[in-house]
Amino acid sequence: MEAAAVTHAEHHGPPPAHRSSRVEAPVLGMLLFIISEVMIFGAFFTAYFFIRVVTHDPWPAHGTKLPEAVAGVNTAILLSSSLTIHWALTSIKNGNRFGLKAGMASTFLLGLTFLFVQINEYVHIGFAPHDTAQGTIFYSLTGLHGAHVIIGLGALLIVTIRSFRGHYSPEHHQGMEVPGIYWHFVDAMWIVVYTTVYVL
Amino acid sequence: MSTTTIPQAAAPPQVKTRVPLPPKLRAPGWYRAALFSVLGLGFAVGITVLIRWLQHQHPVVDGSAITIVGLFSAPLGFLVGIGTCDYWLHWAAGRPTRPEDHSGHGAHSWRDYFRVNTDHKVIGIQYTVTSFFFLFVGGLLAMLIRAQLAKPGMQFLTEEQYNGVFSVHATVLIFLFVIPVFAGLANFVLPLMIGAPDMAFPRLNALSYWLLPLGGVIMLMSFLAPGGSFASGWTAYAPLSTTMPVGQLFFSIGVQFAGFSSIFTALNFLVTIITMRAPGMSFFRMPLLVWANFSTSLLVVIATPFIAASQFFILLDSSLHFHFFDAFVGDHNNGNVIMYQHVFWFYSHPAVYIMMLPGFGIISEIIAVKSRKPIFGYRMMAFSLVAIVVLGFTVWAHHMFVSGMSPWIRIPMMVTTAVIAVPTGIKIFSWLATLWRGVLHLDTPMLFALGFLTMFTLGGISGVMLAMIPFDIHVSQTYFIVAHIHYVLFGGSLFTIFAGVYYWFPKMTGRMLDDRLGKWHFWMTFIFFNLTFAPMHLIGIQGMPRRVAEYASKFAAWNLFISISAFILGASILIFLYNVVASWRYGPRASANPWRALTLEWQVSSPPPVFNFDAVPTVVGGPYEYGVPGAVHGIFKAPEETRVAAGFTTPPSQQRHE
Repeated sequence: MEAAAVTHAEHHGPPPAHRSSRVEAPVLGMLLFIISEVMIFGAFFTAYFFIRVVTHDPWPAHGTKLPEAVAGVNTAILLSSSLTIHWALTSIKNGNRFGLKAGMASTFLLGLTFLFVQINEYVHIGFAPHDTAQGTIFYSLTGLHGAHVIIGLGALLIVTIRSFRGHYSPEHHQGMEVPGIYWHFVDAMWIVVYTTVYVL
Repeated sequence: MSTTTIPQAAAPPQVKTRVPLPPKLRAPGWYRAALFSVLGLGFAVGITVLIRWLQHQHPVVDGSAITIVGLFSAPLGFLVGIGTCDYWLHWAAGRPTRPEDHSGHGAHSWRDYFRVNTDHKVIGIQYTVTSFFFLFVGGLLAMLIRAQLAKPGMQFLTEEQYNGVFSVHATVLIFLFVIPVFAGLANFVLPLMIGAPDMAFPRLNALSYWLLPLGGVIMLMSFLAPGGSFASGWTAYAPLSTTMPVGQLFFSIGVQFAGFSSIFTALNFLVTIITMRAPGMSFFRMPLLVWANFSTSLLVVIATPFIAASQFFILLDSSLHFHFFDAFVGDHNNGNVIMYQHVFWFYSHPAVYIMMLPGFGIISEIIAVKSRKPIFGYRMMAFSLVAIVVLGFTVWAHHMFVSGMSPWIRIPMMVTTAVIAVPTGIKIFSWLATLWRGVLHLDTPMLFALGFLTMFTLGGISGVMLAMIPFDIHVSQTYFIVAHIHYVLFGGSLFTIFAGVYYWFPKMTGRMLDDRLGKWHFWMTFIFFNLTFAPMHLIGIQGMPRRVAEYASKFAAWNLFISISAFILGASILIFLYNVVASWRYGPRASANPWRALTLEWQVSSPPPVFNFDAVPTVVGGPYEYGVPGAVHGIFKAPEETRVAAGFTTPPSQQRHE
């Protein structure tokens, strides 16, 4: 079992591989991970489809209503955070550190606001997931998205702290670009959730 | 590696003095893993008691709630404790990252295999050995099943125990053996084959591996749960599974760990294949094993989230009383039971290709090398893999012909199921054409490859039979299904796994396996596999139901015959076990290229150097040009010399478009 007895005492990590694609590995990895994420939303939308289309349940359940307007404002809040993180990215590409910091901080705060409004909505909406099948689907879809917002906010928090500590440069900003892609996905997915759950 | 001190020079001065922990509990390793697992369990107790107390629920200490949270938090604690996340945590906290967290390459003793290591070769062996452990566990459960069924009437297992035993048998062998063992073999071989020093994300690779045994341990621990292990089959159909005792949750949660392991590995393979190929290694110069794992990884990335979701539905339904599957709630507010089967099979049908395509890759390597001929129809072999990926997503409801779904869905599903036999048939005929007039070397890997060809074809034919709706309805839930699944998963997947292990064992360990014992292993496996599973077709058509602990006495003779054959089949794996253990320790040293193969992994020493290649090789031809005079696949020189040696004088940028 004495596999590979050669020691590289001063050498850490594998040597660089030949680059056979112009795509950066972390970016590609994130995009592929987003495919998985889209599919897990797909599975939850399958449940939505079966309850709403196949079983023909009324939507929302009798005696309940969904706050489209408040959620609409919340949608605007979340979507604007996509703009601010893009601002942060273009800023650091141009070497504008203030833009990076302000962009990241406002992105994080907008995301936090969205989450706060969503939790507030849960508290006041007047039905529980175990009341009806529609309630189950409503809480599952918005909750699944909320879980992704929480994960995204965790990543954004790290990026924000690092940008205030002076990390990232016009040449090296992949550490904020890749979480940024994830955040854009979280925003785009909300549009689908909002449209199907609240609007339609 | 775990005792190296943290470089403190760059760390910020610490304001608070910390409680001194013994170094063994601070450094990544098993002690810290044990500590963090206990902390995870404590978190589960704390959070559930707190929530139940705040909501005024009685009793505040609820066993099943603690179990559910604990089954997530304790393994996560273990993962952090053993050190899979150290680098990321240090990086995220802005602390200096330690070299040993991201360069743990190579294994110096057997102990290194029990630590977090980022070397794809070490991870490959970890994966393979762990999976084979679960093969033995699953095999022993199969022996229990056959002992119970040796004669009519109830034997030593109760109905519930029997249900639990066959459920765990299937689950362990599918999620903990067949799927990960392919990931393990490919982990070792694939970066070597494409000329890469490692996988694209070595630390994620280590995390993928360590997720796997956790999933397995969770599933096996379900035997200790009150009410017994999960007993609703590996399919866990709702609403049976949502009304089961707490053991069912061990399945739902264990699958999440195995699933995340699969997804992370698949991402890693895809990124590695796309971004790290050696110069000159175009997609159509990749060995078919690489193509097979590329296709498999696509399936994993796209399909696996569906089983994760299906098990989240089960968890939410059974623990928080959601209504995904409850058909009667309130007045007209109905969940949908059939939805579970759709979501489950939308993963689990592609999963049968996840369990087969890497095997196709292994067989392509072995058959080309062992018949000393170029693989027949290389491009069609690659395209047929992609065709299977696409078609694999269009056939899931053929598992549901008797489920009560809308009858019209059956027709398109029957058609697509018959159509998907076409790309598979292309592969079978390509292998046959490769064998045709080849110089066959009938050693153990080749015997298993030929055994695969015949057995998988039989399993494939019974699969096409099952695609036909009337026949499927007739044999639904009978032993015909059991025979079919074992012909494709045992005669198909397991034979390719054995072939792969016999083929790459010299590369992985630097030792040759005993070929004589290997042939004994093959013939015992081949003969008694057929004696075990072929009669199941007959008793299945006669109507013996599967998943039942006893049966009508008219099936007694065949069942005794099957059980005896199964015990000998089970014993045959002891030959394999002895062969592997003895050869690994005392076997003759393997040369770099004992099979005279062209692919890159055989051009380096056995076992390969820590970072695989001293210089990145340059690929100048296809991987299977056996018997073609002057054919070269890879050249191990500096790129400039390579191009001169290969007769090129134009810069590589222009060659691409010639």
